[in-house]
Amino acid sequence: MKVSKLVKSMAVATGVIFSGTAMSDIILMSPQKPGSGTSVWTEIIAKEFAKAPALNGENVVITYNPGVRDMAGPNKFHKTERFKDNVIMVSHGGNGISYVQENVKYDYTAYDSVCHQNLNIIMGKHVGVNEDEGISHIAGSGMVPEGLAIAMMIGGPYKTTQEYIDIFNDKVTWINGLNGSERHLAFTRGEVTASRANPAQYISKIQPLVDAGKVETWLHHGILDIANGGGTIDDPNYLGKRFEDVFEAKWGVAPSGDLYDAYSMIHSWRDAIQKAMWVNKGNPNTAKYRQACEQMANNPESIKVFHKKIGKYDWIVGEDGNKTIDILMGLIKDKPLQALVKFNQEALGLKSIYKAELVADLADSNSFIVPVRSSGSAGNWFTELLNIN
Amino acid sequence: MEFYLFAVLALFAGIVYGLIIGIIPAAGATTGLVALFPFIVTLKSVDPYLAVIFIVAVVAASTTGDTFTSVLLGIPGANSSAATMVDGFPLAQQGKATYALSAAVTTSTVNGLFWGSLTFLLLPWYYDFIILPPVQGGVGQAELFMLCLLAFVTVGFVSTKFWGRSLIALAMGVFLALVGTDPVTAEPRFTMGFDFLMGDGNGKGIPMIPVIAGLFAMPEMLLALRNTTLANKRDMSEHKQQLIDGIKISFVEWKLSAKGGLIGAIIGFLPGLGGGMSDWMAYGQTVASNPNEKIPFGKGNIKGVIGPEGSNNSQKASSFIPTVLFGIPGAPFAAVVIGLFSAIGFELTLDSQSIMGDGLFFNSLSFGFLSATLITGIICLYLMRYITMIAYVPYKFYFPILLAFIVWATYTSGFSTYGWENVALLGVFTLFGLAMKNWMFSRPALMIGFILGDKIEMLSYQFFQMFNVGGYPLIKLSEFFTDKPVGSGKIRFALGEGKDLLEHPVFMVTFVLTMFVLVWGWRNRGKVDYA
Repeated sequence: MKVSKLVKSMAVATGVIFSGTAMSDIILMSPQKPGSGTSVWTEIIAKEFAKAPALNGENVVITYNPGVRDMAGPNKFHKTERFKDNVIMVSHGGNGISYVQENVKYDYTAYDSVCHQNLNIIMGKHVGVNEDEGISHIAGSGMVPEGLAIAMMIGGPYKTTQEYIDIFNDKVTWINGLNGSERHLAFTRGEVTASRANPAQYISKIQPLVDAGKVETWLHHGILDIANGGGTIDDPNYLGKRFEDVFEAKWGVAPSGDLYDAYSMIHSWRDAIQKAMWVNKGNPNTAKYRQACEQMANNPESIKVFHKKIGKYDWIVGEDGNKTIDILMGLIKDKPLQALVKFNQEALGLKSIYKAELVADLADSNSFIVPVRSSGSAGNWFTELLNIN
Repeated sequence: MEFYLFAVLALFAGIVYGLIIGIIPAAGATTGLVALFPFIVTLKSVDPYLAVIFIVAVVAASTTGDTFTSVLLGIPGANSSAATMVDGFPLAQQGKATYALSAAVTTSTVNGLFWGSLTFLLLPWYYDFIILPPVQGGVGQAELFMLCLLAFVTVGFVSTKFWGRSLIALAMGVFLALVGTDPVTAEPRFTMGFDFLMGDGNGKGIPMIPVIAGLFAMPEMLLALRNTTLANKRDMSEHKQQLIDGIKISFVEWKLSAKGGLIGAIIGFLPGLGGGMSDWMAYGQTVASNPNEKIPFGKGNIKGVIGPEGSNNSQKASSFIPTVLFGIPGAPFAAVVIGLFSAIGFELTLDSQSIMGDGLFFNSLSFGFLSATLITGIICLYLMRYITMIAYVPYKFYFPILLAFIVWATYTSGFSTYGWENVALLGVFTLFGLAMKNWMFSRPALMIGFILGDKIEMLSYQFFQMFNVGGYPLIKLSEFFTDKPVGSGKIRFALGEGKDLLEHPVFMVTFVLTMFVLVWGWRNRGKVDYA
């Protein structure tokens, strides 16, 4: 039997090599290289997704589309691939952040959600570290919510955005350039005092340190309450550690203000669609893919795999996924967005932009930030030169 | 019993595929592994452990196989064999292809076996070392920064007699490495508006394969069109003697080989440093430790083959340590290995610790790598008589095939995002390579700058953010250039003061070594007659 399987695999291999992916394959477009977090998630999902009876045994193939800080894949999907009925885009939380504060080509409102996991990010810090005396954390454009949370945790309530920025600049060492899993190693060695991880990474990389008594779970950002149209609920895996709860326990009052609204907006954009699958609106296979996702989410074997590798998080399937985007779009308001852009520019050093076209309440706008073009880098002199001439 | 039969089959399939991939110019292990994605799941359906054996056999065999085109044609089979080419190709041109290759293959195999055995035997014990705090002798970001600087200063040893041009080439390499995404602002930098030059946002934006193929492979191929064959003379009667001499010299020069192996093992072991760096470091130390050679380096000195080949396989072997233990790739090929393992059900990024408890996985890994290293070495030595004949075949017959392979390797390296963009880059770097060769600007120096430039930039950010080195003057300098006040907390809450580094043993040893190599390299610059 193995011989026949081997012959079959060689025949398939030969065919695949010379023909690329077959036209009938269902393609999951990962925005990263193999081995990166979202690619790993996609690989876990692809195996379970392929088992869904609704797909009738169709082959599920992953393509890897890294580039431009994971924006190249979604951009490519938007430009060409979404018009192919068998292509599903996989996106991650970083894509959500970029959508709010950078120039991107992709547009969630043009897609239908197949399904997604409404996830969370959890932060740990070394035991004995008092953030009020200063704290170090790995930088990165996907770490914006952590930067905001740290500034508020140190600063306490009733501060202006500028005051939070000053506090951040004074007490937080934001360490650039450590990527992916390397940051876990630096955290484990004690070279940074705080770190964060998605549920799957937290289970495998940080929880063992917590169990060993070296690290404590500091806070998490909460899970978007889709049923009630917004806000967050506590994470059943880390009860009592939601940012709002930890903040109130420390300062006696709940967090509030423009920067807090900015925080609520941007962490929701990252975490609520932290791992998601999308097709173009009008894709004739949408119902089939949603049904397959539903079957996967209810398959006891698959659930066991997800719980072990990702954690206990619900799947949001179909129209509820579209509802999530509606909720998220409603969170983008003028003042929080301005506060976010200001914090990004002056505390984190990121060149983010104010995207007026996304703002839900633009009528109330009272802008004090001059929009910054994201293409304003030294690297674009050549393009500008061509345009001028 | 049936499993073992299929294990041997998977092993040989991996060896054959790996050898082919290794011999294809510029392709190497990374490209060969990327090409496996479409059908690895089908192979898994036979047995996932067989797939593990197949994958690691590909890695081991391609690493030995990539030496062939480097030596025979002056075209690196992969990034990791570019350093071997500097002296290997001139030897082939002198009709000593078998001598160079047998020395290279023997050195590579012996080091692969030695460091591979050590890696897999001690794998369960590395965990405690790799998480050791730097003050207790561990390797942290400051130590990695200093190691990169150490590798960087070896450029002194690979410069030509036109050392000014070598410095310019080095600067060009650093500049090219900085094209991409600014690690602080996440903005495009020097990309001229082309998105694909932003890379994946982590480090350099220009991919490695078009650069290595364009700088080294294409110029040699195009210039070789002028000649009917690459080798000057053909004397197959010497084959047997050369084979024996090659094997013998690799043992005579065992210290060089071992030093190369040690360098490769250390670089592979440390996550994030990558393969190309170790080979050039090993080549640099070979030149440095042999200052008075009759045959100049770059003109066919066999020691210039043995040094970098020592590091070649050992680096691949030790790269499995961070890859398997932490799911952190020790080299670019290892990132693809993680992806492939994940596709067949072994998620190293999620569950490495429990995977270590899977005896069959561990056995498949070690059996695949060690057996493939040994068998590939034997096959290569046995078939060398036939493989070396390519150097005597009229070039026009295989030029189109080589060109097609290089374009394929370049195209594939862009995953599903960029294909033809990478091919366009290949064209640009071919012109660049031709110009550099013509005007004697050191291409190895450029490669060192290109491999290390972005790494040093990122590590220097971390270094200065973690340690208050430079203190107040540095803040003022930063404020002057960025026009942005730096909070006092950036210094006050740094991990430590500059003087704290005195308590980091690995940092201090590497620092002293770097200073020593810098001075020695400068005094001995211009020893390599290769641009």
